[in-house]
Amino acid sequence: MTDDRVAPEAGQFDQRYRVDPHRVDDPGARKRSRFVAQQQRELQAEFAPRPANIAFFEDLLENPPTGDAPRVGYFCSMIPVELVHALGARAVRLGCGNPALVQPGEEVLSGEICPLAKASFAAFLDEESLANSCDLLVVPTSCDAKRKLGEVLADYKPTFMLNLPPEQDARRYGRFSAGEISRLAGFLTGHLGKRLSTRRLLEAIDLGRERSAFVRRLQALRAEKPAALSVRDFFVVIQSSFTGADLAPWLAEAKKVLDEVERFEVSRRRLRPRLVLTGAPILWPNFKPLNLIEESGADVVADTLCSGAQSCFDPVVIDERGRKALMRALAQRYVFASPCPCFISQATRLSRVLDLVGELGADGVVSYGLRLCQLFDMEAYRLSRIMRARRIPFLNLRTDYSLEDTEQLRVRLEAFLETVGEMP
Amino acid sequence: MIFAGVDIGSTTTKAVILDRDAGSEGEAVRGSALRLSGNLPDRTAKRVYLDVLEKAGLGADDVAAVATTGYGRRLVDFGDLVLTEIKACAAGVRFAPPPGEAVHTIIDVGGQDTKVIALSDEGDIEDFSMNDKCAAGTGRFLEMLAAKLELSYEEFVAAALKSKTMIQMNATCAVFAESEVVGLLARNVKVPDIAAAAHNAIAGRIASMTRRVGQRGAFCFVGGGARNAALVRAVTESLNKPVHVAENAQFVVALGAALGAQRRYEHLKEKEIP
Repeated sequence: MTDDRVAPEAGQFDQRYRVDPHRVDDPGARKRSRFVAQQQRELQAEFAPRPANIAFFEDLLENPPTGDAPRVGYFCSMIPVELVHALGARAVRLGCGNPALVQPGEEVLSGEICPLAKASFAAFLDEESLANSCDLLVVPTSCDAKRKLGEVLADYKPTFMLNLPPEQDARRYGRFSAGEISRLAGFLTGHLGKRLSTRRLLEAIDLGRERSAFVRRLQALRAEKPAALSVRDFFVVIQSSFTGADLAPWLAEAKKVLDEVERFEVSRRRLRPRLVLTGAPILWPNFKPLNLIEESGADVVADTLCSGAQSCFDPVVIDERGRKALMRALAQRYVFASPCPCFISQATRLSRVLDLVGELGADGVVSYGLRLCQLFDMEAYRLSRIMRARRIPFLNLRTDYSLEDTEQLRVRLEAFLETVGEMP
Repeated sequence: MIFAGVDIGSTTTKAVILDRDAGSEGEAVRGSALRLSGNLPDRTAKRVYLDVLEKAGLGADDVAAVATTGYGRRLVDFGDLVLTEIKACAAGVRFAPPPGEAVHTIIDVGGQDTKVIALSDEGDIEDFSMNDKCAAGTGRFLEMLAAKLELSYEEFVAAALKSKTMIQMNATCAVFAESEVVGLLARNVKVPDIAAAAHNAIAGRIASMTRRVGQRGAFCFVGGGARNAALVRAVTESLNKPVHVAENAQFVVALGAALGAQRRYEHLKEKEIP
């Protein structure tokens, strides 16, 4: 060992190999990405019925809240945002669904990773982006792209990689995962210069539980009367809470949506096929698969998407109020209940899909695979075999953010719906 | 009763008139017409429909219902029902099945898409598979390569039939295939062998699609691709099973659409829905 060796900082990345953050001034990409979002917003503007206050949620997506509070950017739905909220910071989900940012990401990073990873990274190339306004970043090791993205992003902002266990076996990995979440708490408190109070954490958990109760209730109502709310508006409502919005005022508006849907009177029997949607995250403004499904005349009555109802479905369950017990409870919710395909077994998601089909009387299952995401792609094999064995009509749609295959996908979807309709 | 089906494909538009009062099933198809879709598919569809009416000696008022299918299925204003080409194709094959063992797998090679449809014992669609967004594995792919070799499509097919080699060619992307052809030409590979390689590459993809939906029973080949003898030969070799080429292979989907129109018409009549 030589003397010039510099010990790495307490962080996870070796300081000797830091490089300057890469920036690209691409006003074209910025303009296109705004245009794409505007187009989707206009498309949804034609819906009827729509929640009266839908603009509140759309505006949050378009102009995420700014203000003095520090911002913590995170990826995936496996990061316990309650920790961030308890420290008085805003939690901003950075998974990007904007097709206009795929190519800029590809230019710098790689063409061989999924569009979500490419677009999410591209947001950092633009100095004025929301991603770049974050003070800290948290990335779980939920796929190879994320695993490697951490070190790339660490050049931009202090970044914490949350290690996930390889299996969802709480007996073997419970302590490990709770430990990782504790380390995350340490990273956040260290950088934000604040103490994590148990009282504040419990308050944050309570708010999170309120959000999940809301999503569960709305999900149940939609399953009962899908005509009351488009799944695309449902996703807008849910995803607007990932923008760093304060949850209390968001919940107040969300409850108005619930009231409206609650009061919605069904005038005629809904004959549309009822689908359960599973697979890769669908993030604003790339609602292409949702557009296609609804335009083809089917209803998505439930989903297992980490960007849909599933993202908020499971509440954090607390038995004890000690610090360690709370970390375990967060791990239980965020790691061990996750339907993510990054774990060795796909049982969690499979069981969830089968439960939803059974409970909601769904007519079929559509799986959405994001091109270049090997994890979801590999899981489609077993998913399709299991659905077939149980005589549940199943369609796998694999695509990316681009629109070039729209008509092909439409034919496949419509043909699938025709066969669903004919099943005895 | 007269029903019509119009199949507005990416390359050609086809129409069929179905006469359900004809003496026998064999005489049920009263007329068919075809035109290149061109860049105004809606207008072409209208013209093909008028062509077929004229051929059948009928007026628009004689037709009880018209169904449209194919990628332009929603572009026209004279249709009464829209259905996908997958459903129409299955219906068309069911109506005029080839002799012998029952068909359980349909291969439909069109200009822009290739589809493989698995049928149940009852003839319902059990599963289907369709090529991804790339043109590789479709009729367009062969047309592109023929042009690259400076051959007409017919010459290209005839050349492929002459070859006795099995040169490997990748067909995952039409654009890459074109550069692969340039490479093969640079290595002095003979034109007929390149033509055969292109057909074999597509046949290999079709065979893997059939395996994906499960191979059983007899195979039936429809669509414009079924008129290509070299492709039929390559597919037969890849599957190692006999493949029936449907009679009037290009019109099967339009016929299926007409049958779909009839079925819907009768369904509504039965339920007394005006």
